Amino acid sequence: MTEVSSKGGTLNWLRERFPASFAAARMWLRRFGILPQILSLAIIVGVFAIGTKGKYLSWANIQTILSLAAIPAIYAIGLHPTIILGGIDLSVQGVASLCAVFVGILLKNQYNPNDVGLWIIPISIAIGGAAGVINGLLNTGLRIPSFMATLGMSWILYGMAVLIGKAVNVQILDARIESFVAATVLGIPQIAILAVLIAVIVQMVQDRTRFGRYMYAIGGDEVIAKQAGVKVKGIKIAVFTLAGAIYGLASLLLACRLGWATSRMGAGLLFPTITAVTVGGVALTGGIGGAKNAALGALIVTALNDGLVLMQVSPYIQQAVNGVVLIAAVALTLDRKKLGFIK
Amino acid sequence: MSDTSNGANQDTVVQLHQITKVYPGVVALDRVDLAVRKNEVLGLVGENGAGKSVLMKIMIGLEQPDEGTIVLRGEQIALRNSADSIKNGIGMVFQDGSLVPNLSVTENVFLCHEADFRKVGILSLRAMRDAARELLAQMKLYINVDLPVTEISSAERQMVEIARLLWLSRQYGQENPVLILDEPTTVLADEERNRLFSILQDIKKQASIILISHRLQEILENSDRIVVLKDGRNVTEIPAAEAKLSRIEQLMVGHTFSTDRFQEDEQVTPRDREILKVENLSKAGFFEPLSFTVREREIVGLVGLVGSGKEAVCNCIAGLDKADTGDIFLGGRKLPGGSPSAAVRAGIGHIPIDRRSEGLALMMSVAENVNLLVLNHLKTAGLLSPVREKKNAQYWISECQIKTPSIGTLCANLSGGNQQKTVISKWLSSRVRLLILDHPTRGVDVGAKDEIYKLIRRLAKEGIGMLIMCDTLEEDIGLASRMLVMKDGRLVKEIDSSSHNKPAPQDIIGLIV
Repeated sequence: MTEVSSKGGTLNWLRERFPASFAAARMWLRRFGILPQILSLAIIVGVFAIGTKGKYLSWANIQTILSLAAIPAIYAIGLHPTIILGGIDLSVQGVASLCAVFVGILLKNQYNPNDVGLWIIPISIAIGGAAGVINGLLNTGLRIPSFMATLGMSWILYGMAVLIGKAVNVQILDARIESFVAATVLGIPQIAILAVLIAVIVQMVQDRTRFGRYMYAIGGDEVIAKQAGVKVKGIKIAVFTLAGAIYGLASLLLACRLGWATSRMGAGLLFPTITAVTVGGVALTGGIGGAKNAALGALIVTALNDGLVLMQVSPYIQQAVNGVVLIAAVALTLDRKKLGFIK
Repeated sequence: MSDTSNGANQDTVVQLHQITKVYPGVVALDRVDLAVRKNEVLGLVGENGAGKSVLMKIMIGLEQPDEGTIVLRGEQIALRNSADSIKNGIGMVFQDGSLVPNLSVTENVFLCHEADFRKVGILSLRAMRDAARELLAQMKLYINVDLPVTEISSAERQMVEIARLLWLSRQYGQENPVLILDEPTTVLADEERNRLFSILQDIKKQASIILISHRLQEILENSDRIVVLKDGRNVTEIPAAEAKLSRIEQLMVGHTFSTDRFQEDEQVTPRDREILKVENLSKAGFFEPLSFTVREREIVGLVGLVGSGKEAVCNCIAGLDKADTGDIFLGGRKLPGGSPSAAVRAGIGHIPIDRRSEGLALMMSVAENVNLLVLNHLKTAGLLSPVREKKNAQYWISECQIKTPSIGTLCANLSGGNQQKTVISKWLSSRVRLLILDHPTRGVDVGAKDEIYKLIRRLAKEGIGMLIMCDTLEEDIGLASRMLVMKDGRLVKEIDSSSHNKPAPQDIIGLIV
């Protein structure tokens, strides 16, 4: 204990005494840093609370924000691990459309006699997961950059969705999932609770399993990870599969919330999802961030948009604001990485 | 030289026997023997290109020998990859490190070997943290094991890597592992260096260590035995206790120093006119204020160890880095620092060490590369003229004797020597005034080397001033007409090396290390 600790004095003494709190805090801030996100959320809340003369802080509005943020958060939790790997998954719109179409066909509806009931949950997850497997195989097997492989997949899946769904809006007649989505527990929207639950589970996997650890190792330095013995391909395929499966669940929830299943459902999902992930502090360069970042990012983006609506800002300006937020978030997360890494 | 290098005795852990490795055009290793014994520090020395790193790569399975055998603890083995070698208790700490930057110390130590810390698939972070702390404590390293490895010092990172290797070989049940340390001290401060060596003496009780270093003094002080490699061959093996610095220097440099290889008769006397003037240039952490000049037709050799600051000086002159203080004048005009394009406009050419990624556009043709800097002169009515492009390219290809099937061949398909000649011709055709050559013959076979020497001589005759850093000291001495010796960021000596008045390498190596 003498050689090093004697030099550092009190600071080291503290470190020795409270290693968990001292170190864990720094670790958290570095890899899962959510302090900037909490701060930006506080600023957004503060500005809109003043701007709307308190209306923003009403319980009804907070419920709205939580319930609106939940599904984007689940999509973001699905997408972010692919970014941690150092890649990206742009197939979210295609997967969502395809899942929606299958939800329309298989759940009780006015066009056909099908009614799979709650089996739709594993089915939707499996459809998304299968798309993810293909993404992963394209990326690792054919060595196509994930950016291109998943973008191509998105259009393929969307095309399939239109073909199968014949561009019809199908009303969902099974009310069970719909009512789950709409209900609240102690005033908190159930769907928000579900999103938090998913975030906790995925974060747990990331922090406490080998699979999660290797995900970060690949994002940090794929060559070194491979040399150390990480089965890079397997992990990558698993991550894309996980992403697809989570989109599958989110798409089911989204279709049930809308009450309609249509192949157009995926349109416009990609941008808010990527925005949420980056605003949450997941660095596009890989290796940094976690499920809590993705979820928090979705909350920030939703809180921002909700505030702009309450302030009656033109929707076109809202879109522009979102674009600015995305670019700013990317700039900040990239910068943080550059400071930390010398490559 | 001694009987132990061939015949294994019972203390031998690893025995490399008659290892030969041939790369296209170069014999990297020629029947090299190396024995590593239990509980020893083996110092491995040799100039750049003597074959040390290839030998070590073979030892950890990153390269396969063309001939020869590896005998580990009495059994002949084949190492297919680095995972193989670590299972057999051989591990290497690389110069640039092999830790994943965004993971914590703990996570790095146990990466891919977390199995022992699982309970129903969930990792016990506390158990891992405690185990990591205990491991590092054995090396008297008391750091916060939750920090990402980018936040600890390079000395600490090295310790973490060593700890990981020791732990891994224990996991695989290997007693007396072999640790290879490649230039471990280049990034360390004096104090850290002493600490490293005192810890190595500790580790020696349970492992063998191969120490590679350019700093001969520390090899002498810390090894039990020293093996000298020269041009891919064993030169000798001496117990450190009997070794003397001057003797090792002499062995490293060898006796085969021939003056005619570097076309010394072609060496021209520099003109008086200065091309480059550097005044009080400094960059904190890299080099201290220094001043020098390069004249027309002069080749100035910049010699020193890796990390002596010579690369940083060149980068500042080429505009790739910005110096903290001082001025750079080219032909009497001051250059704005830190702008590569301004440097090129002023007439400074830079031939980087890694020509494949920095010096050439590999996926472009030879002609396109040769013409790259002179496109402005190849225009007719504002548009590039294919005829003039072709003419210019053909002229330089024949002038520089670039061996290429056609002017449209992709540079990626040329040999290393011809790629280098393409880079040089690119600068030649652009009428550069000062050329910085960073290891121009690195990875080039012997015949092409001679042609590159010839080209360099020609460049000098054309009036171009040059600043060169070479692979070997002999090359520096042979090519340069004046040498600047750098050590630890300081310009320590200026040595005349004009034709037929060449200094002896032994005298200079003493200044460098």
